[in-house]
Amino acid sequence: MIDDDTLDRQLREAAPYIDDEGFTARVMAKLPVARREPRWLRAMVLLGVTVLGSGVAYLLSGGGRFVREGMVQFSNFPIWLLLVFAFGCGLVIGAFAVIFAIRKTPEVRDLVGLRF
Amino acid sequence: MELTDAGLIARVLADDDQHAFGELVRRHQSSVRGLLRQLTHTDIALADDLAQETFLRAYKNIRSFRGEARFSTWLYRIAYNCFREDARRRKELVGVDEERLQAEHDPRTVDPGLLHDLMHALSLLPLHERTAVVLCCQNGLSHDEAARVLDIPLGTVKTNVLRGREKLKRTLAAWGPN
Repeated sequence: MIDDDTLDRQLREAAPYIDDEGFTARVMAKLPVARREPRWLRAMVLLGVTVLGSGVAYLLSGGGRFVREGMVQFSNFPIWLLLVFAFGCGLVIGAFAVIFAIRKTPEVRDLVGLRF
Repeated sequence: MELTDAGLIARVLADDDQHAFGELVRRHQSSVRGLLRQLTHTDIALADDLAQETFLRAYKNIRSFRGEARFSTWLYRIAYNCFREDARRRKELVGVDEERLQAEHDPRTVDPGLLHDLMHALSLLPLHERTAVVLCCQNGLSHDEAARVLDIPLGTVKTNVLRGREKLKRTLAAWGPN
């Protein structure tokens, strides 16, 4: 009977090199288009949209009148309610941060056994 | 000087360099296509479709490659997952039973040439044993690496390799020690 080493050697010899024959070219043709825009452009676009949105919101809210009135009303709330509100906001933001961190960190993703 | 896989991956990550990824495809296409041909019972068209899907997935998910394993091991894992998903879709994820293997042992039906017979015998193994044998004995992965590729316990890989080898040896017994 054939021994293990001979069998393994025969198995390796029985697997011939497969010529590319256009395979790589076919894969390359199907790759998504590479992102070419520089990172600073992306940052500038995001900043521009944010400034524009803020300006529009300022104008539509009567020069920030609604915001001022809202802040005044807010300041009249009891302190415990403000604390609960602040705590709730922190909790929501923290939860989103944890989810984002898990999605972006393979080590943590593997640790908690999640697959995204 | 030729860049290593790690160097090419770094280029893909930093500059989205598709030429670097193309070089990775060129380097690994043979082994990935070979593995998939074994898994698909030498259905070359299907194997190449799955290999193409493997490399496309690898490109899209290359940021999740942490460099702990060899790049080829990571590719094998993607290839195996592609194959499994396709097999599930086709409901063909079944092994060949022992009776069929025994029936194929008839020496009168065996083609001449040990290598040909070996590949034939390999194709008759149940899928889990064939995959383990191809990864470990043919592609030189360690049992540990194969366990990671197949996402199964190390002991199961060892058992599958052992059983696969024994069946191959029984099939090829007529060829003797050389």
